[in-house]
Amino acid sequence: MLSRLQAISVKVTDPFVSLSLVQASRSLQTSSQRLAPVPPLPDHGGKVRHGLIPEELFEFLYPKTGVTGPYMLGTGLIVYLLSKELYVINHETIYAICIGTIIVYGVKKYGATVAAFIDSINEEKVAKAQAAKDSHISFLTEAIENEKKEQWRVEGRGMLFDAKRNNVAMLLETNYRERQHMVTNEVKRRLDYQIALQHLNRRLQQEHMINWVEKNVISSITPQQEKESIAKCIADLKVLAKTTQAKAAA
Amino acid sequence: MTLSLFDQFLSPVVCWIPLVAIAITLPWILFPSPTTRWLNNRSLTSQNWFLSQATSQIFSPINPPGHKWALLLSSLLIFLATMNTAGLLPYTFTPTSQLSINMGLAGALWMGVVILGMRTQPTHSLGHLLPEGAPALLTPILVIIETISLFIRPIALGVRLTANLTAGHLLIQLTSTATLAMLTIMPVAAIFTGILLFLLALLEAAVALIQAYVFVLLLSLYLQENV
Repeated sequence: MLSRLQAISVKVTDPFVSLSLVQASRSLQTSSQRLAPVPPLPDHGGKVRHGLIPEELFEFLYPKTGVTGPYMLGTGLIVYLLSKELYVINHETIYAICIGTIIVYGVKKYGATVAAFIDSINEEKVAKAQAAKDSHISFLTEAIENEKKEQWRVEGRGMLFDAKRNNVAMLLETNYRERQHMVTNEVKRRLDYQIALQHLNRRLQQEHMINWVEKNVISSITPQQEKESIAKCIADLKVLAKTTQAKAAA
Repeated sequence: MTLSLFDQFLSPVVCWIPLVAIAITLPWILFPSPTTRWLNNRSLTSQNWFLSQATSQIFSPINPPGHKWALLLSSLLIFLATMNTAGLLPYTFTPTSQLSINMGLAGALWMGVVILGMRTQPTHSLGHLLPEGAPALLTPILVIIETISLFIRPIALGVRLTANLTAGHLLIQLTSTATLAMLTIMPVAAIFTGILLFLLALLEAAVALIQAYVFVLLLSLYLQENV
């Protein structure tokens, strides 16, 4: 507001006056000239004694008048006002005593409770924000843990692949051996078949030969030869019978 | 006593400079305006909490179109409560003990509410002139009575507040004058009167807050009817 005043005055008056106006008003500007960052609010208000009088008065008077200085000043002032009748005791004084008692009693009794309640409203707000922040941090920490676990799992993947590879190799090996076995068996069967065939051939040849020989022999036996052989057999049998009888009789 | 009992209700003037404007703007100066900070100090937090509680309390039964009146009625509540309680301090002038201020507030706000109702939903507003469940024979008389009660409302609102505060202040003045007068002659009677004064002061503190709340509550009821 004062800067606007200064801007207006620059147009109207001479430079000296406007400049001195700015310089003069600068000492009155006590707040910081920046808007951001907003300076933090003090946590507690200025200290007061007896709820009304700032502590600075007591500190100001302490070097010269000690501890009782401000009280003497207060008492003296009140006595002066009363004695000179600058303050007249009238009905309002009685009423002031009453309402003053009520106010002081109310503040003393309920002041702390109300302050605690208001502080709890602010603390709830802070707690909510803190809880949100904490939950987000815990969520992120959990995510980090999960990620690390996944990385550890990935390391084990190599072992899994080795095992699977071994498994597959074993399967292949088994399959190969089985097929080899089968091949061997099939070859043996073929060879056995050939052997059996050869045996069969030989046997057939032998039988055929035997049959041919027998047939030829039988066909070569003439009836004359047959009669002679039979007569010889009978003669041999008779001789044998006689010898047996002789052995038996002996 | 050179002062009469009613001198406390005179508009305050110091060397012919009227101070009534300062007295009326007192509530505006006393309460800090909300900041852009996230966490505030105790006074601003308590003010915000109280205002949000009061507004939600008063406006919960009102339909959404009536919520436009929230700012007006909540600031009116703070205005009246501050003025009433500030008037409890000794040697102060209470603007709300003047009929002019109270009638100005009551008349203007009541008329605003009625005109709003008549313009947006005239049938519904006029329907309030005949309460539900009334026997058909009594209709003409009831309508007249309800119309009279409708027009009495602003007067009632204004005079209620004025009368309560004026009566309270007068009683306090009388009792304290009696206490002071008897203090030297009959101290025991003065002590009893003093106790009476103490209780009166307590009552006045309650009345100050209650009357402000009643004023705003009644206006919100009239708004509820008409919106």
